[in-house]
Amino acid sequence: MRLRHLLLRQWQTRPGRALATAASVAVAVGAVVATWISADASRAGYGQLAETLDGPPVVDVTARGGGRFVIDELPPLADLPGVRALVPLLYRPARLLLEDGRRVTQLAVGVDAVSLVKLGLLELEAGEPCRDVDEILLEAALAKSLGLTVGDEVLVPARRRLIPRRMRVSGLVKPDSMGWFAEGADVVFDIQVLGAMSLATALVDRVRVAVAPDASRPKLCDAIAERLPADLIAEIPAGRASMAEDVLHAANLGLDFVTGLTVAMAFFIVGNAMLMNVTERRRGFSLLRLLGATAKQVRQFVTTEAAILGIGGGVVGAAAGLAAAGPISAGVARALQAPALGFAMQPWILPAAVLLGFLVAVAAAWWPAREATSIDLLEGLAAAPAPPPQGVPLKFILVALGFALIAAVNQALVILEVLPPRMTVPGGITLLLAFVATTPILLPPIVRVLAWFIPRSLRIEGMLATEQILRQPVRTALTTGVLIVAVSNGIGLGHAIRDNVDDVLGWYGRMMRADWVLSHAGMLQGVAEAQSLDSQEVEEQVRALPGVASVEGLGVTTGRVAGGACVIVARDVPADQLLPLTPVNATDAELRAALARGEAVAGTVLARRTGIKAGDEVPVEVFGRTVPVKIAALVVDYTSGGASLHVRRDTARALFGLRSADILLVTAKPGEAASLRLPLETIVVDHAMILRSFAEVQQFVDGIVGGVVNSLWAILGLGFVVGSLGVANTVTMNVLEKKRTLGLLRAVGMTRGQVTRMVVLESILLGAAGGLIGLAAGLVTALFIQLASQPLLGHPIKVTFRPSVVAINLVAAVVVTALAAWLPARRAVRLDLLEAISAE
Amino acid sequence: MVLPTPAPSFPILRAERLEKTFATAGGVPGVPAVRELDLAVAAGEFVAITGASGSGKSTLLHMLGGITRPSAGRVLLEGTDLAVLDDDGLAAIRRRRIGFVFQRYNLLPELSLEENVALPLVLDGVAAARCVEAARDALAAVGMSHRSGHRPDALSGGEQQRGAIARALVTKPAILLADEPTGALDSVNSANVLHLLQQLVHDRGQTVILVTHDPEIAAAAGRIVRMRDGRIVEILAGAQAESPAGATAS
Repeated sequence: MRLRHLLLRQWQTRPGRALATAASVAVAVGAVVATWISADASRAGYGQLAETLDGPPVVDVTARGGGRFVIDELPPLADLPGVRALVPLLYRPARLLLEDGRRVTQLAVGVDAVSLVKLGLLELEAGEPCRDVDEILLEAALAKSLGLTVGDEVLVPARRRLIPRRMRVSGLVKPDSMGWFAEGADVVFDIQVLGAMSLATALVDRVRVAVAPDASRPKLCDAIAERLPADLIAEIPAGRASMAEDVLHAANLGLDFVTGLTVAMAFFIVGNAMLMNVTERRRGFSLLRLLGATAKQVRQFVTTEAAILGIGGGVVGAAAGLAAAGPISAGVARALQAPALGFAMQPWILPAAVLLGFLVAVAAAWWPAREATSIDLLEGLAAAPAPPPQGVPLKFILVALGFALIAAVNQALVILEVLPPRMTVPGGITLLLAFVATTPILLPPIVRVLAWFIPRSLRIEGMLATEQILRQPVRTALTTGVLIVAVSNGIGLGHAIRDNVDDVLGWYGRMMRADWVLSHAGMLQGVAEAQSLDSQEVEEQVRALPGVASVEGLGVTTGRVAGGACVIVARDVPADQLLPLTPVNATDAELRAALARGEAVAGTVLARRTGIKAGDEVPVEVFGRTVPVKIAALVVDYTSGGASLHVRRDTARALFGLRSADILLVTAKPGEAASLRLPLETIVVDHAMILRSFAEVQQFVDGIVGGVVNSLWAILGLGFVVGSLGVANTVTMNVLEKKRTLGLLRAVGMTRGQVTRMVVLESILLGAAGGLIGLAAGLVTALFIQLASQPLLGHPIKVTFRPSVVAINLVAAVVVTALAAWLPARRAVRLDLLEAISAE
Repeated sequence: MVLPTPAPSFPILRAERLEKTFATAGGVPGVPAVRELDLAVAAGEFVAITGASGSGKSTLLHMLGGITRPSAGRVLLEGTDLAVLDDDGLAAIRRRRIGFVFQRYNLLPELSLEENVALPLVLDGVAAARCVEAARDALAAVGMSHRSGHRPDALSGGEQQRGAIARALVTKPAILLADEPTGALDSVNSANVLHLLQQLVHDRGQTVILVTHDPEIAAAAGRIVRMRDGRIVEILAGAQAESPAGATAS
């Protein structure tokens, strides 16, 4: 016989204990696998969402100081890793003369449409890409509004030609398919054709580099910049209003947290199971040592058992995790309204999961193995089990303080931007471990207070239950550790996500506060150089409508501020309405006065990136012209992710020549909103604009945000289920461990019902106490996440206490622990009395 | 009454000025369980240590067996000072040179009787075949060969105790320490176990130290060492007293 035979015999005699331990590994591995795959699927979904809103990630090559440049100046870039496509772009306004006499001015873009379609970077709803000198593409919505289709012809005036050129519509572009390069253009020419028509042959406004999905944009940008001549620059362009970007940032950080916390939970679940496994066999280990087993032999015994159970649990866990990941990924896809994200069953997942089970089990067995070797030899001779250690060892307090210090230092480094925001995750997990380590100190007073609420009819059971918990604060703390992690996960991330989303939605609500929104799609580049007759005409027509109370115009274009790319917003500032901007360290009145003086306000993210501060005078470059502008104040803004500069429209006209209004916010007189639909629709059709009611815009925004939030709740829900399984497993083993104690209680006269109620009460007290500690940990976690976001956003996000989130988590914690204890308690009290008393 | 007897020529086990004080919490002075005790045991002796509950006899046995370390003094087993051995060294001594028999048998419930008996050899890394052979020999010596495949829960108290004695003998130890080996047995089984121990001493020259509170059990030994309050107060000749075997007591 070898010692491993003893192991096998123990498994045969007590299969429940071995199975429960293996089950803990399976739950842990399954959780990690499911969370990892689901988080991966979610990130892919978020990436698709971001691409839907902003198009594929890009880097722009432009002329330093603005203006066009000769395409031949561009050095070879296609060989750089991460380059998906190089897209030279040329923009110019184009007036379309329709057969019915209408004249429409649109922004046109020159591009190699044939190549883009081949690469899948441009999708056509109908027809073919333009390749001949007399072919154009129209964006499908524009075509519909103009009543045009494939094969129709329009006249396009060209420079130095008396007779307009007759152009055929060769195809219709899918809406949003060209948004990533068109910059508001709805008409596509072949770039060489447009260049010839504009007397700008071989000239381009920019070269947009489409970045491969898995490449790093900043790294590629740096690589491109290294190759460029001095008069060209590479930059990551400020996107359109990508408010979703900020929601997605919080979501991604949340995913990192969930994944990290799941791994931490895995160690807790397995470690707890291993410790209970060893504790149950204290007497046996003591005997082995008495008979001459060395400490090393005992350690190897425990570790070998852990390794075998880890491998077995890993196999089962991998299968369970894969099975769970499927529906969760599908749920995430539904929430994001994305096509089925799915996940590829990579061949490495199974062996990796088994290895994870092995590693987690062996690592988690380290402390139990140490405990097994330090068991007093006399314990094996004692008639009764040794009493548990009294009080809380100093080492727990020192460990808690150590973890808290590490977490605080980590977080400080993130806030000071020494570490990137993602490094908040290990700090948050360390802080959570600090909370768990303080549980032996926190648990007794919390349990004593909770015990006051036990009904009088359960006084005896409550007294005994409380005494059971208080007898072994350290042991109990480990049992609640899993619960604390699960509750903290739910409360912390739930708060962080909702707070972040509310911040973004609050901004959007202030920004979009009209009944109707008329818009061109995006910014009008280059139009400001000429009179935008169409835009002014639209504004006058709208203002003239009866039923219109006010019209607020917003002009949007791109520029550079102090060297940083940004979006410049020119806006009306009505005297009778609150400003849609939230100033930082300034009042509304001060903001208005500053804007009236011709000064600007900058978004906090732009300020953080460029280092500009309130009071600075900075160079602002728009349409190739650079003018100095004073920054009056910083504001919380999510336009273009906060990289924005706001001025009044008259200031924009004077400084940059920006006259057009890309967006008109129309507020109706009371009760007149619905009546404005028809007249506004007529106007937009005539001018190829888009009309949306604010409710539709709100719905669109809610859709994006809701999708992201729901996907996160799905993964959080997974985390809670896993935590619940872990708690259930732990509580079950805890109860089984007490078989002898329960038998003794019955021997001295307690009824089965009383013993069962005592056990369930004990679990309820643990659940409530653990839940409360998890609540505190969760709120601190939420604070950590928001503080970590501050460098990125440039402003703090308010952490709001949400009673519903707290209540759901606390109730679930109590219910799960109570249910987990009830069944094994009933089984334990049904055992023969003598068998229970003689149980080891 | 203390019998003045000459010191043994070649004591297999010697305890010199042995003391054991158990620490207590809260600043309360520790409890002295054994005080300045000297004892020498010759090879082949059957010594019974007796005394009332709390007299320190079990504590003394634990120190003699290297289970617990003395607060002062030393234990020499075959000339080896147990105090200088580390944890692994003590474990080796317990495996190879000392056999233990406990009141509650302490057989591992998951193993068969034969496997329980072979356990000390398994822990010592002895080849499997040799372990089985030695276990069978030991079981034969105690008359339990016919139950070798049974688990402890299928055996009576007396059978389990005989199995435990076989386990104690399997490594051919220098000394066999028995702590109340008949404490959990009825009179018939007690007598059987006692007889077995006497046979081992008589037929194999096994050195046995037995702790008991029962004077009738103690009387079966060759020498009776009576303890009170942690000290040896009396040494008497037992029913098996043969060649002079000495002890000094303080």
